[in-house]
Amino acid sequence: MKNNKVAEIRKLVKDYGVKGFQTKVLKGIDLTILKNDFIAVMGPSGSGKTTLLNILSTIDKPTQGTVMLDGQDIAKMSNKALSGLRRDKIGFIFQEYNLLDTMTLQDNIALPLSLGGVSGRECIRRAQEFAEMFGLKEHLQKYPYQLSGGQKQRGAACRALITEPEIIFADEPTGALDSKAGRELLECLKRVHEDGQATILMVTHDPFCASYARDVYMLSDGQILCRISRGADRKEFYDRIIDVQTSMGGDFSWE
Amino acid sequence: MGMIRLAILNFKSGFKNYLSLVMSLAFTVLVFLDFQNILYSDAFEVLGTRNWEYVKLLIQTTSFVLGCFMVFFIWYSTNVFLTRRKKEIGIYVFMGLSNQKIGRLYLIEITLIGFSALGMGLVLGMLVSGLFQMILLAISDLTVEIRFRPALRPVLVTGAVYLAIYMVFAGKGYVNIVRSSVLGMISAAKQNEYVRQKYQILLIKAVLGIGILAYGYGLAMKEGSVSVIGNVFAAVILVTVGVYLLFGGMIPLIFQILAGRKSFLYGGGHTLWINSVIFRMKKNYRTYAMVSVLMLCSVTALAMGFAMKGRYENIVQFENTYTFQLLSSRNDLDQQARDLIEKESPIAVSSRIPILSLDQSLVKARENYSKYAFTSYSHLRQLALDTGMELNFSEPGEDEIFKISHLYLLSLITEQDNVKIEINGKAYQQTGDSDVPYLGYLQEYMSFYVLNDKEYEKLRSLGEELMAYNYRIGDQKCFAKIRENLDVLVQNTEENHTARVAIDPESNEIDWIKVLYSICIFMFLVFILASGSILFMKVYNDAFEEKERYRILQKIGTDKKVLRRAAAMELLAAYGVSFLVMGISSLFSVGALGKMMFTNLIGVNLISVLVVFVILAVWYCLSLWAYERNAGIDSCKTMY
Repeated sequence: MKNNKVAEIRKLVKDYGVKGFQTKVLKGIDLTILKNDFIAVMGPSGSGKTTLLNILSTIDKPTQGTVMLDGQDIAKMSNKALSGLRRDKIGFIFQEYNLLDTMTLQDNIALPLSLGGVSGRECIRRAQEFAEMFGLKEHLQKYPYQLSGGQKQRGAACRALITEPEIIFADEPTGALDSKAGRELLECLKRVHEDGQATILMVTHDPFCASYARDVYMLSDGQILCRISRGADRKEFYDRIIDVQTSMGGDFSWE
Repeated sequence: MGMIRLAILNFKSGFKNYLSLVMSLAFTVLVFLDFQNILYSDAFEVLGTRNWEYVKLLIQTTSFVLGCFMVFFIWYSTNVFLTRRKKEIGIYVFMGLSNQKIGRLYLIEITLIGFSALGMGLVLGMLVSGLFQMILLAISDLTVEIRFRPALRPVLVTGAVYLAIYMVFAGKGYVNIVRSSVLGMISAAKQNEYVRQKYQILLIKAVLGIGILAYGYGLAMKEGSVSVIGNVFAAVILVTVGVYLLFGGMIPLIFQILAGRKSFLYGGGHTLWINSVIFRMKKNYRTYAMVSVLMLCSVTALAMGFAMKGRYENIVQFENTYTFQLLSSRNDLDQQARDLIEKESPIAVSSRIPILSLDQSLVKARENYSKYAFTSYSHLRQLALDTGMELNFSEPGEDEIFKISHLYLLSLITEQDNVKIEINGKAYQQTGDSDVPYLGYLQEYMSFYVLNDKEYEKLRSLGEELMAYNYRIGDQKCFAKIRENLDVLVQNTEENHTARVAIDPESNEIDWIKVLYSICIFMFLVFILASGSILFMKVYNDAFEEKERYRILQKIGTDKKVLRRAAAMELLAAYGVSFLVMGISSLFSVGALGKMMFTNLIGVNLISVLVVFVILAVWYCLSLWAYERNAGIDSCKTMY
């Protein structure tokens, strides 16, 4: 990706519905994501968070405006090229873990590399390295049903990071976890980010989760309302997020 | 809402999903009905009473086999239905329905399915009944005019057999639901636990499976006399159990070992399909084993059909070696007989040979015949010279004897080694046998042996020496006239016994073998269609469970080509392993058949396996298409 820009969104508009009965979900978003950013997108239900994430992660297409990923306009890319982009440049962490239940944790983590044609030995080395980093080394030979929610989600994060993608998209990564497991995951993501290994864009309804990011964008009614940047203290950042949330009103509960 | 209304609504809304189930049940009804229709039709009566009796026996035996097949198929289908419905209707527990009520709902639904299948099967069966008989007669190479006469009795018999079996299994499902715990019912929807199995258990199953299979194969190939039928029966059971253990033990073990070799697993991109195969094998190994056994039945039936066709043609040729045979106490009839024949037609082949007939009280042999006939090696050599037949054995020694055999359709006595025959207190070792038709038709109706010249001379005084005169006419059209002419030679006085055998080239005496051949082909089709449809149904249903997995893979950017390859490999493993097990087992089942027919059927075996391969390849392509569709590999638009 060029000029330190990982992604660039200009005047992004997204409509749903048939002609004459359209709903504008996104109303002209501008956002630039630079290398090693850690961004959280927050907003009340119906504000367009998930739509934004879907478009950024190339699963949905914009109605108007441009989304540049890897220097290319995703609206002009073929399905095959988009699939390749998702495989090579993007990592995903989903709310529901989405590990394959027929495989061990190690097989799950190594899967993107294995499918990408990387040698077996390298797959094993990298899978073990990431598992170590995320505290999962003892669980590598277990199946998803033998793991806790937190372990599964950390496993999913390893799978997302193993190909060293340009950007990680995380959709409510702590949504299905208890607070302890959520904190463990966020600590891991923070560590990876601070080591300079990842650029992360996270969609969340949870201010605690958002406080791990460096910048928080507040979305309301399809537009970016404000951007809050973190100082040195995460606790203070958390309080500021809560203040903005309170001032915005609306339903911030989990979609 | 009443139970019946709810069940009807469920049945209506889910009918599309259960169509494959209804169709396969209807298929078994159709096949059974059409066989019953033959029993009550007059199509085969034109073959003559003897042939018709044989055909009736064949149809009754086949109906029994089809009945067993129906039991198995209904058991399998109702089980699939029960598992699926249990997951769906288990949810009614939360609505406060008791197990009995849920069971009743299941019972009504499955009865509706059962009756739909029965109705569909009976209607289609009636419609294609004439066509079915025409095909059967055409394969049998028989020309009979078919009249379509719908009969009530086959419909009643088929309906009664089907419903009796069906309701037993429906009732079994009801009991299963009533006895299920609430937790069990809800967790029927939960799955995918305990993917990998313990190595030790798999190893024990694998060793047991291989051992039992090897023993079963050994029994199938074992030569013997009266024990053969028991051996064959035991071999069928052992091979079935062995195949079951093989799929439950050795095959998952191999795949688990492969999955454990991570360099191999990740390096070649085998992760997806090998892990899926392990998962599927755990869930489906019983089905794969059943399909393998069904395919084995199918390939054996086809091989038997081919072999029967070949054997029929050979028997016809064997019996028609000569057109007329005279057996007489006089040895001066040749010229007279020639004159009578040549008045009408030239003689194509002729021979004569003295044969010694001994009373059965003087002979002790393994096979009991009313007549035992012997000739000397020199006499037989002369006959071979006269007719141009091969003589591929040398003169037996003083304590040796050589059997001149005939073509068996099937024989349960397969032992060929160390056979002894005792004549007038002296034991002779049988050194071999030959099915060259030296004596043509006569050879089929007597136990015929060749002795050393000296031994023959010694035995001459013990019985009556007769002369066999054999002629094949050049012009078959003169058969009836010559038969009449030769009748003047037939005598039965104290001094002169002369019997005449006439073999009508147009005779249809053994036409029932042709029906046996076509029934074998038909059974092959039934089994291969059943095997294919079971695998197809399994794959079709499994694909829905796989949908989520493929959705995840698409979300993380896995290329459609990679997903297609993984799906193709996964299905190939299911089809390929079943085919491989069937192929290896068929060497023994067809080998055993070859032993009973005293012939080598390896060529027939290979052709039959090849035919199964082609049909299975078509099923595979169909399954892959359905799998990709149902698992959502084809549509990767809405991923979130």
